[in-house]
Amino acid sequence: MTETTDSFSPSTAMSQGTTMLDARHLTRRFGTRVAVDDVSFHVAYGETYGLLGPNGAGKTTSIRLVCGLLSAHGGEVTVAGMPVSTTEPKSKAQIGYVPQDVSLYPDLTARENLTFFGRLYRLSGSALRQRVDEVLELIDLSDRGNDRVESFSGGMKRRLNIGASLLHRPSLLVLDEPTVGVDPQSRHAILESIRTLGSAGLAVVYTTHYMEEAEKLCDRIGIIDHGHLIAEGTSRDLVSQVGKKDRITMSANGSLAAFAEACRSMPGIERVDIADSSVQLLTEDGRLRLAQVLEAASRTGTSVKSVEVDEPDLEAVFLHLTGTALRE
Amino acid sequence: MTALALAVAELKRVTRDRTFMFFIVLLPILVILLVGVTTSSSSNIRIGLVPGQSTPLATQLGNDLQADPAFTTVRYSTRAKGVDALRRGELQAVVVIPTTLDADLQSGRTTQIPVLVSGAIENNQAAVTGISSVVARHGATVQAALFATTHTSRAFAENLVTARTLQREAPVVAVRTEVVNSKGVVLPVGYSYSAPTMLVLFVFLNAVAGGAAIIQTRKYGVFARALAAPIRPRDLVLGEGLCYFALALIQSVLIVVVGAVMFDVSWGDPAAAVALVGMWALVGTGAGILSGTLFRTPEQAGAIGPAVGIAFAMLGGCMWPLEIVPQSVRLAGHAFPHAWAVDAWTNLLSRGGGLAEIGGYLGILAAYAVGLLAIASLRLRRSLVTP
Amino acid sequence: MSAVLAIAIKDLRQRLRDRSAIVLGFVAPLAVAWLISMAFGSAASFHTNVAVVDLDRGQVAAGFTTFVKSPELAKLLTVTSAVNAEDAKAKVAKGDLGAAFVIPAGYSDAVTSGNNRPITVLTSVDASIAGQVARSLAQSFTAQIEAVQLSVNAAVSAGAPAASVGQLAAEAAALRLPEQTITQPAGTKTLTAINYYAPAMGIFFSFFAIGFGARGFFLERNGGTLDRLAAAPIGPGTILMGKSLATFVYGAASLSTVALFTSLIFGAYWGPPLAVIALIVALALTIVGMTALVITAARTERQSEGFASMLTFGLVLLGGNFIFVGGAPEMVRTLALFTPNGWALRALTDFSGGADWTAVTTPLIAILAFGLGTGVIAFALRRRVVNQ
Repeated sequence: MTETTDSFSPSTAMSQGTTMLDARHLTRRFGTRVAVDDVSFHVAYGETYGLLGPNGAGKTTSIRLVCGLLSAHGGEVTVAGMPVSTTEPKSKAQIGYVPQDVSLYPDLTARENLTFFGRLYRLSGSALRQRVDEVLELIDLSDRGNDRVESFSGGMKRRLNIGASLLHRPSLLVLDEPTVGVDPQSRHAILESIRTLGSAGLAVVYTTHYMEEAEKLCDRIGIIDHGHLIAEGTSRDLVSQVGKKDRITMSANGSLAAFAEACRSMPGIERVDIADSSVQLLTEDGRLRLAQVLEAASRTGTSVKSVEVDEPDLEAVFLHLTGTALRE
Repeated sequence: MTALALAVAELKRVTRDRTFMFFIVLLPILVILLVGVTTSSSSNIRIGLVPGQSTPLATQLGNDLQADPAFTTVRYSTRAKGVDALRRGELQAVVVIPTTLDADLQSGRTTQIPVLVSGAIENNQAAVTGISSVVARHGATVQAALFATTHTSRAFAENLVTARTLQREAPVVAVRTEVVNSKGVVLPVGYSYSAPTMLVLFVFLNAVAGGAAIIQTRKYGVFARALAAPIRPRDLVLGEGLCYFALALIQSVLIVVVGAVMFDVSWGDPAAAVALVGMWALVGTGAGILSGTLFRTPEQAGAIGPAVGIAFAMLGGCMWPLEIVPQSVRLAGHAFPHAWAVDAWTNLLSRGGGLAEIGGYLGILAAYAVGLLAIASLRLRRSLVTP
Repeated sequence: MSAVLAIAIKDLRQRLRDRSAIVLGFVAPLAVAWLISMAFGSAASFHTNVAVVDLDRGQVAAGFTTFVKSPELAKLLTVTSAVNAEDAKAKVAKGDLGAAFVIPAGYSDAVTSGNNRPITVLTSVDASIAGQVARSLAQSFTAQIEAVQLSVNAAVSAGAPAASVGQLAAEAAALRLPEQTITQPAGTKTLTAINYYAPAMGIFFSFFAIGFGARGFFLERNGGTLDRLAAAPIGPGTILMGKSLATFVYGAASLSTVALFTSLIFGAYWGPPLAVIALIVALALTIVGMTALVITAARTERQSEGFASMLTFGLVLLGGNFIFVGGAPEMVRTLALFTPNGWALRALTDFSGGADWTAVTTPLIAILAFGLGTGVIAFALRRRVVNQ
């Protein structure tokens, strides 16, 4: 994506530090299952806020509540001071929502898609046409504007997917896992553009289950699991919660349960999580413990294929807080 | 055999679709019922009767009309209601018995009985002729009763009874009817018309719409995946063909059984019927697979296929007998296999023909089947092998 | 441009890009109407070929032949020749003749002397109407003769002296039948095949809009664009209104095009223009209601296709779009009035038969009531659609 900061500037002038999005005590149930339970967070103008959590944690539901796609069973949302809900459409003009799946009309051209969505946001006439041209240039699809979306590659569709959400110059951009299933090149491009948008003054809410993205991109991160916001802060703040604990990741075969038990009984090992053929441990001084762990492995007849020792990071934070790994 | 396994898998997938089963089973039965019920009542001329007063002569005339086997008579309380029915094409004529009928006739005057028709008078002679005949015969008894009354001392009412009895029991000048043949050349109206023609229509229609399923399979990439396995394209084609042939057969058998059990349709000589059912299922299969290779999206097949199928069926005589259309249209209709299938069924059901009699038709249908299947297989193989 | 309009235009643009929508909405009904007009041509009036085999050559027999060949019956009959009774039988069996009359030798003598020698009407199993017409004709001819005989016999049986039979017969012969029919135009026009089937097929194919509309909705939901719409600053009813508008326009356009083209090209008469427009609007509204019903009742795209098909075919079968409902038994005709298309066809049939515009009032109300009913049910089921 080309980088022209003017095109991204939000339409309402706001000063740095002002709260753009304020979500308070959001709750939502589906039948008996509570998908989002008393989740509160706020995002300032110009801030990029990440919602990090595994699949099924409640990220998408939270996002849908924030964008007014779903009605909340408890709590409220305000954007730029205006309440957002399914019954109050006006405030949605401030929000640019980028769905996880490419949400475009395949049998219409890129230009037709953009024009249509622009109209929904009250753009019209030459202003609309101009804006569509701008966005097409932004997302590098100027020469494909009159081609049907079904003829686009996956990467092109993703770019258009984001472009469609920028037409109306929102103050708040909400992206739901925009890089899932995307090739590394496109992923890099997407992250770059979000960074540019953020620095132009947009407030951004970014959900993901990729730790590296959250670390690189977000000013603040909220960790969500099973519908609860279990921790919040800058990446550094969160990691410091874990202290000096290292994370050992192993891929292994054999009686993993027995191996896990053996590990848990060792001093200094804080958390053990097993799944399929991988084991994650939180421990002080990983390099020192490694030998003991490997010995426990051979004792329990577990064959270890690979070992990785990482210094504290968000994965470790997650493991520390929940006892389960932040898996893909 | 691989083709068989493929056929079974495809069959399972398709029969799970409840909509598909609606079109295969329920719809044809409904249509047979409807068409059968409608056409079975059309061999009579339908007339309306506005009976006027319930005086003796008027009542008698009304009953005479009702009793005549040439008509199906419906009574209407007012002329306006009768005219409404006439306008809607429910009747061909309305007889309005004058309220003064008895008074006029008994006092020796002549009376005219209006018969109302739509459009030009000369277009409705068939109904008018029949009604005139009944009125004339009624008039004959009145004339006789009046005559007897003026020449004897007996009362009119008694003489009328005598006259009617005489007319009924000792017909003086009679007309007798002789039917020259017992076997018809056209399908008898009613269920025996609708069942075989709807069989022809629906098997073809569903086969062509079923082509959509083939396109769907192709779109899902299942074919490509299957080809990666060690099977030949030929087996895939054969598998698809078997599946749709089986479906066509199942539907045919269902219609035959339902027709026989629910509507008393006799399907003629068993061997010939089986051969005809099987041959038509083959034609349908060819058309279905061809449809699967001609259209690009399932929606196209689902939309254009039935439209084309209905058109062919109309031209082929499935919806109305080709006897009633101009010669040129009848000839054009025989360009399509439907017309030949209906001809064969007519032979079986109306003339009691067997395998020998419909051999020619079977041959022609076989030619259609072979042609369709050949083109379809070629196209299918080509689309499988080229990405 | 309002959001409702934008959504409607977008939907219609997609519909126009879909070839099957064009085919089913516009091409197919015109093609089928053309087929029907070709097959049935102008108003069909019954006509048949007959032959008279006069084995008698007497005066009465000649009178019968004259009667059959009379100009009033020219439109009904074409009188051809047959060499003898066997020849006539063969021709009737073959279908060259609808029926034949065989006047036996000695017929004229038998009639004048009061004896019975019947005329034989030869008929075929395949031509029952021709047979009935022939029989009626013969009976009409013999009725006058019969009246004479009957008068004499009635008088005799009532007490007139047997000796006066001759005189009675002479007197009776001078009489004429006291009642006869007089054919009058009812002020109605004959219903032609094209006038019935052009609208019938037009309405049938317009119902496919239900399936398109329902499918389109599910595609939006599954494709995620429904979420985008929900995220936009538009009211909750806007999406529904926009899509309803698109369905309405498509349905009305389809029907209007068929009405226009069949009228101009095939000479079909639908009715007084304003009344027909009112019917089209009412039908289009009903299509919207039914689309909404299918969307709320179905859970998946495939289910919606199925429901739409079943609804379309069910209504069309019941309503008489495929079979001429005028010829059906009364129960079938009554059942047709449970459908909106059945009512529409009734109005159009009435127009075609010469009724004036007032014939549209009851059908219009019935159609709108049906549409309203489906809309109400859809509204009641709406919770199933949106996850709100």
